[in-house]
Amino acid sequence: MSIKNYDQLSSLELDTLREIGSIGSGNAATALSQMLGKEVRITLPEVRIMGYNEAIDWIGGPEEITAGVLVKMRGQMGGILLAVQQLDFANLVLKCILDKTVQDYSQLIELDSSALVEVGNIMISTFISALSGLADMQIELTVPAFAVDMQGAILAVPMAEYGGQSDYIMTIGSNFVCEDKETPCRLLLSPDVRSLDFLLRKLGVSSGE
Amino acid sequence: MKMARGTGMLITYALGSCIGICLYDPAIKLGAMVHIMLPLNMEAGRKNTMKYADTGIRETLKQMTAKGAAHSRITAKIAGGAKMFDMGESAMGNIGQRNIESVKSVLRMEKIRILREDVGGTVARTLLFDVSNGAGCIRSYGRPDLII
Repeated sequence: MSIKNYDQLSSLELDTLREIGSIGSGNAATALSQMLGKEVRITLPEVRIMGYNEAIDWIGGPEEITAGVLVKMRGQMGGILLAVQQLDFANLVLKCILDKTVQDYSQLIELDSSALVEVGNIMISTFISALSGLADMQIELTVPAFAVDMQGAILAVPMAEYGGQSDYIMTIGSNFVCEDKETPCRLLLSPDVRSLDFLLRKLGVSSGE
Repeated sequence: MKMARGTGMLITYALGSCIGICLYDPAIKLGAMVHIMLPLNMEAGRKNTMKYADTGIRETLKQMTAKGAAHSRITAKIAGGAKMFDMGESAMGNIGQRNIESVKSVLRMEKIRILREDVGGTVARTLLFDVSNGAGCIRSYGRPDLII
């Protein structure tokens, strides 16, 4: 039996996804650490399956302005990866790379946005390359897209993309800790349901067969 | 979907590619706001009718007439349908546009006039609708408030 919906996942399958989240986030943290020249740790990764409203509350309110880097997966696995870069995280990156900080997102100049996109893209790519190595899957990534806007609207993008399949969004992600400060950069992996099924079967934990 | 009569403010937050539709019967000051995410309800037996433009608008109209609104008096104001991420040729960027087209065609079929609209573009919108006078207000990031 293959899964048709996120809420059909068994606890073994959820554990596997949490492990993927852990490995992916760990690799992304290493990449971030190399880029920033600082020690970066990750908090315990979470797998969450949430309704839209719950996801919005979890990330901190719909109208909060945030930056998002979005990459789409194609190939043997389809889905969306979204790096949500809240202001603290953006400033951490800008401080280390360009030696500046901003009061709010409207002060970002093109070079700053470009740095944020690149950091987001490298973290996402590292995450996916860990995943593709683990599951032995060919995954292609699109060029990253960047937006600064209300996070409710940014989070709605994966929701709308897969809204026809499920009323829930699955996120695998963790926070990064840099210089003893927990910085909420969240990497959200939202695979489409069919790909998720394929991934779990590849890893040999699918409940059925 | 939210509905109010006489007084009250209906709000829907952070519309990206989603669309907020305010339906209003001025004679009895009955207003409803529905927040749709996708253009068409393709699956049979889906319980979540309000997520789709076609079933969401029709169900809202039904509930409004049940509360005493006259279908012929109901007018609409719509906002949303933005393209949040520029992903080139990908189908994802078109969801906003498809939502706009679907909402407009459903409203046309239901013979509901669109009084004002603020759709498309690349900014997220928060839509507020004052039921006492039928005025809408759109809040966006990096843009002054817009009254519709």
